[in-house]
Amino acid sequence: MNFEIVELFSIILFFISFFGLITSKKALKSIVFTLLLQTAVVMFFLSIGFGENILPPIGEYVANPDYVHRVADPLPQALMLTAIIIGVSVSAINIVMLMTIFRKHKTTDWDIIKKENMG
Amino acid sequence: MIQVLLVLWLAMAMMIVFERKIAKIIIFFGIFSLITSFCFLLLGSPDVAMAEAAVSVFTTIFFVVCFEKYHNLGVDKTTEPPPKLKVLTFLKTYTLPLVFSGFLFMLFLYFIPEYTVNTYLKTQYIAMFARDVGGENVVTAIYLGYRVYDTLFEALILVVSVIAVSHMSWYEGVSVKDDTDVEIDGTEMAIFTLRIVCPLLLIFGIYLIANGQLTPGGGFQGGVVIATFFICRYLIYDIYDIRIGRIIRIEELVFAVTTLLAVFIVFLGASAYMPANYLTIFQDVYLVLMNALIGMKVACAFFIIFYRYIGIERK
Repeated sequence: MNFEIVELFSIILFFISFFGLITSKKALKSIVFTLLLQTAVVMFFLSIGFGENILPPIGEYVANPDYVHRVADPLPQALMLTAIIIGVSVSAINIVMLMTIFRKHKTTDWDIIKKENMG
Repeated sequence: MIQVLLVLWLAMAMMIVFERKIAKIIIFFGIFSLITSFCFLLLGSPDVAMAEAAVSVFTTIFFVVCFEKYHNLGVDKTTEPPPKLKVLTFLKTYTLPLVFSGFLFMLFLYFIPEYTVNTYLKTQYIAMFARDVGGENVVTAIYLGYRVYDTLFEALILVVSVIAVSHMSWYEGVSVKDDTDVEIDGTEMAIFTLRIVCPLLLIFGIYLIANGQLTPGGGFQGGVVIATFFICRYLIYDIYDIRIGRIIRIEELVFAVTTLLAVFIVFLGASAYMPANYLTIFQDVYLVLMNALIGMKVACAFFIIFYRYIGIERK
């Protein structure tokens, strides 16, 4: 187990938000926890190759052999950039679905919604 | 530095988990996103930090609008929780999930293999990006050159999201005054500030898009900033003079043009036929054009979602 501290913290956050997802009764809280889950995953991917005095992969110096071991990995960054935008658009759909549910049932409690749908 | 921030980060997450009031959760989530964005900056990824900071504004707005709609639609009939939680019910509701997620965490720590990070792709991209794609920002070079398929997929997801939001939201019959320049009462100070900040936002968004290949920034971040400009415009004038249907058409057209450009230049390898004298100019034009198209696309999508949310639509 040779974890970096950032990786360890992001895994802990993942399971905290998992715990929140299990225990939350309100629908809006569930949406917030899915966003927290996504943030934990993004942080985990960005922490790949993290070290002291890390440099951003921008500029002309990155190809310089003196600096190339200190430059952050650009591939996860490019992928996470799209992942963040996708996460927001998915949560936008979630919120509209939540508002539709609230208009129909006048509540956001999962237990009551389940009970009313079962008849 | 980053250790302190991470401890604060986890504390904020715990506060979100154990908070019961929804209004407080929304505000805590905004603070959490801010700390996250600062952590991303310290991890050496200013692009992602900027995207997170710009996007967290929108998530907060969405949650606030949703929370406001609660009260407009009717009283929440859920019975209020008792003011004092009994110890036994607390244990019942929280112990089993806590044990379960703690068990999964331990399982995760136990079974994860010891690995060394493979840096082959990183060295390849850093060595080749200036010749293959151009520009000085490696992240832009990857998402517009090597992995442009992911970017197209992301744009497609945004189109699907806009369609879903406009299909599922409904028209509430909010009365809108025709072309009257009515200002919101009682908030002159905020509106005065917005009037000053508003054009700066537009300039900042255009700057981010135009310099996306040289500095941190790019299509996504600039697009989100431009969308906030239009939202400020709505807040200042409180009128609705932009037709949503037309903007949806623009968005679809921009998506089609983006796909065609990417197919023509990246997949067919058009830069291989360029003479060497004009290659850098060609690459720069491609990067700026692609960033501008993605920025327009993202701005249109967020603008449409916001306008559908506030429920004002002229027939």
